[in-house]
Amino acid sequence: MSEPLQILLLDDEAIVGKRLKPALTKVGCEVEVFQEPIPALGRINEKTFDIVVTDIRMDEMDGMQVLEHVLAKSPDTKVIMITGYAMIALAREAMEKGAFDFIAKPFKPDDLRKVIAKAADALGKPIDFTPADQAS
Amino acid sequence: MSIIIISSDSLDHAEQIAEGAAEAVGYQLLGPDLLGDIAAAHKLPVEKLKEALGANHSKWRRMRTKRRAQLLACIEAEVLSRLMADRIVCWGLAAHLYVEGVSHALKVRLLADTREQVKLVALQRDISEQRAEKVLQREKLKQAQWSQIAYNCDESDPSMYDLVINLAQINPDESIKTISGAVGYRKFQPMTYSTKNLAECALAAKVKTRLLENMNEVRVQVRDGRVVVTSKAFKRERQKKAAAIKEIAGGVEGVEFVEVHLINYVIREAAESFR
Repeated sequence: MSEPLQILLLDDEAIVGKRLKPALTKVGCEVEVFQEPIPALGRINEKTFDIVVTDIRMDEMDGMQVLEHVLAKSPDTKVIMITGYAMIALAREAMEKGAFDFIAKPFKPDDLRKVIAKAADALGKPIDFTPADQAS
Repeated sequence: MSIIIISSDSLDHAEQIAEGAAEAVGYQLLGPDLLGDIAAAHKLPVEKLKEALGANHSKWRRMRTKRRAQLLACIEAEVLSRLMADRIVCWGLAAHLYVEGVSHALKVRLLADTREQVKLVALQRDISEQRAEKVLQREKLKQAQWSQIAYNCDESDPSMYDLVINLAQINPDESIKTISGAVGYRKFQPMTYSTKNLAECALAAKVKTRLLENMNEVRVQVRDGRVVVTSKAFKRERQKKAAAIKEIAGGVEGVEFVEVHLINYVIREAAESFR
């Protein structure tokens, strides 16, 4: 059996981790949830994650800095940016800096799950979950 | 993959460069030929669609506001739905004015060589270059008026574009190379945010087209399948109009929920009360 996908979720809104962790754990991912960037970066320094999902606007640190830090440490990690302040310039900046994808809040849990599945495919570690809108 | 939207103050150059760019990057070309399909699908005369895009300024000025909005909404709905396929170079359909919030769309503005244009107009119309210059200035002014009235913006404003190319300095081959290179930048890659915005723009245009068949002055926005329609109504017909909007918009594929905001026709109502 292949290694489980290692995912780190960083969002100061607890609901994001609360909603996503069970769904991703159910399909065999190992998920660590953080609400503050400093402890999250500490964990990123200790462990290599396959996917990092990070909010952009946070009090202590900008999500762009998290993106740069993650990619400097592990260029293969897929970083997914989420934000409630989406604008073209910000989206383009994130992509230019190497983000895998960029999602505007509010989003449905399925939207993020689909992006995580896409990132897993790109890593050659596909995960199988059926989005709620396709479940029979 | 991305979308390239080319606009110009000279359609000849836009066509040539759009074709060249499409060939260079292996994208499909979407141009004014589409107006024929739109005309057939909506049972409209092609000439009217061209006029709505500002091709004939005097006819466009005489066109009723509702008719202009209807025709433009039809064009927008069809163009936006096609742009969702990606890998498209779009020109001559005014997409630079209604594709908004789509970060994977590279918007290019071509500035024609004025001296070359003056010579051409002078030759075509058999007039002096001095007169041709005035003719061109008038046409540019009309075009600016059109974009201002139709889309409330000045399409000659360079800040609207990602790339502005001066054809007096950069020839068409160099322009094609520049555009092909720029579209390869990572920042123009599609992402969930931008593809969703494009899909929402397309849905809003579709809903607007349907609503304008039955009423005037509607503004449609879409967010997460939720359609927000803003319109005007007399106090006495508010309920009826809201119900009609919900029924029409709700019938469009992809619409999950319709929210209606109606503003009173304050001045008209005041005028009526004095009758």
